[in-house]
Amino acid sequence: MDYKKRERDRPCKTPIVTHDLTRYYGDLCAVNRLNLEVENEIFGILGPNGSGKTTTVMMLTTLLAPTSGTAEICGYDIHRQPELVRKMISYVPQDMAVDVRLTGRENVMMYAELYGITDPAQGTRSALKTLDLADRADDFVKTYSGGMRRRLELAQALVHNPQVLFLDEPTVGLDVAARKKIWHHIRYLRETGMSIFVTTHYMDEADRYCDRVAIIDKGIVKAIDTPDRLKSLISHDIVTATISGIYSGFAIPGVTYAESRGDELVFFAQNGEKALPQILDALAVQGLSILAMSIRRPSLDDVFLHLTASSDEDAGPFNLSTFRNILGRRG
Amino acid sequence: MNAILVYCRRDLIRWIRGRWGFISALVTPAAWLIFVGLALPIRFTDDYIDFVTPGILVMSTLTASLQGGGLLILDRMLGFFTKFLALPAPRESILFGKILVIMIRGLIQSTIILILAFLLGATLYNPYQLFITYLILIIFGALLSSFTTTLAIYIGDHDSYAAVNAMISMPLFFTSTAMMPYSVMPEWMRIPAAVNPLSFAIDGIRIVQEGIFPLVQIGLLSGMCLLLMLISVRAFRRVKL
Ligand SMILES: Nc1ncnc2c1ncn2[C@@H]1O[C@H](COP(=O)(O)OP(=O)(O)O)[C@@H](O)[C@H]1O
Ligand SMILES: [Mg+2]
Repeated sequence: MDYKKRERDRPCKTPIVTHDLTRYYGDLCAVNRLNLEVENEIFGILGPNGSGKTTTVMMLTTLLAPTSGTAEICGYDIHRQPELVRKMISYVPQDMAVDVRLTGRENVMMYAELYGITDPAQGTRSALKTLDLADRADDFVKTYSGGMRRRLELAQALVHNPQVLFLDEPTVGLDVAARKKIWHHIRYLRETGMSIFVTTHYMDEADRYCDRVAIIDKGIVKAIDTPDRLKSLISHDIVTATISGIYSGFAIPGVTYAESRGDELVFFAQNGEKALPQILDALAVQGLSILAMSIRRPSLDDVFLHLTASSDEDAGPFNLSTFRNILGRRG
Repeated sequence: MNAILVYCRRDLIRWIRGRWGFISALVTPAAWLIFVGLALPIRFTDDYIDFVTPGILVMSTLTASLQGGGLLILDRMLGFFTKFLALPAPRESILFGKILVIMIRGLIQSTIILILAFLLGATLYNPYQLFITYLILIIFGALLSSFTTTLAIYIGDHDSYAAVNAMISMPLFFTSTAMMPYSVMPEWMRIPAAVNPLSFAIDGIRIVQEGIFPLVQIGLLSGMCLLLMLISVRAFRRVKL
């Protein structure tokens, strides 16, 4: 059966809405006044370890009680209607949990039965097929690779064709090929009309595969927008120089020093082509040996670093008007 | 298929395919019966095996029930519990699934013990006595496995659970009437023995062999069982991680 052809019982316009969702662990504020509206899209939560991604997902899936604030999943309140919320969603936690003593098919079949779908055997077959596991379905999961186990978890999650799919770091610990494959499947599910809420700490994945991204740091959302719009926050080019020696600063008009990553210096420049030779000269004057230089357009990494690091906003090369627009509540 | 049965079947498959847990569950009750029933030098009765069989039945039901909590702890540590809690199936079906799987394991063990006891010369039970014996074991097993499974929600890790387990099961077993009747117990032990649910079950099985219906024991056990199940269901519905 093709997932595309299946009718969703009650398509919801805004599958996830949160209102000042907050969670403290003792004195530590893991999630601080989160306000999101997720539509029919792949919505990514991007943040480093410990930024509150898992805490957010666990509150939205009714597993963890918020300290204050609330959220609605397909219009159902997570406090008052947790059973209805759980009917609408599937959740794949960060830590993998598949039964190694069962076969792939048995693993998925069990969830099909727990979800109470009408034809569990058929549902299981098509979920396994969608995730390219059909030919290994009757092998014990013991023999599956990490990527296959992740796909098996996805098969378990989509066997009841949920409205909203929550994926907590679905690609963590997988090799590049397996990561790509997982994202390929996520994209396919989005095509079928499923809304996908996914967390990741890989900037490149969020950039490439998410429709919209919320950048979160220490429990606070710094910005929410499409990856392209987020990158356009930084109007400048990025010039990097790999050096050996100690950099002691210089003044070139239109060029600001951003940070150093290892022995790589990162500069923002209004015009990269013009700035590169100037930077090269300035560094040479300081007696540093330059091993390599490059110009590139900003990546989500650069945006992230700037949203999280700079407390002095005016010093950075931001389009501050845009930046303020996308902060906080949307819609 | 009902969620309770799905959870139960999963645990049974894991148990049987795990092999060693399965073998051990079949062998240990036999070991108890032989070492306790035949090897202990006992003076207060000539038919010690008749006397001790109910004790060993209840004891192995106790050990089986303690594993109910162990199963849940394992599910928690391996991340299955988190996934189950996010499912639309009623959360208490996780609890009843564990109770059912423990009951099945307990009844398999009890049957082995009874068969061995009869082979070793214990007086045969008639069908009515057998029925009441199994009934008591089922109620007692449901009571204890409901308790340990719920306890496991609140105790995070395997080591702590094992410690709490030992703390509960040892005194419970030794202050019961499993090994000796009230008449030969030291004075101080009679009161704890008389309020010990293990004794209710053991005394109930002994009384029915004397041809009396153990109304008090079954009543007490059923009451406790119902109360604990109500508490457990509430706990499972409300659980947050
Ligand atoms: N059960 C817990 N008890 C105390 N602190 C916790 C607990 N779970 C998470 N935290 C803390 O909350 C913060 C956010 O954690 P988490 O949501 O797991 O982040 P992420 O998923 O983004 O890595 C971290 O600082 C973490 O240490
Ligand atoms: Mg996490």
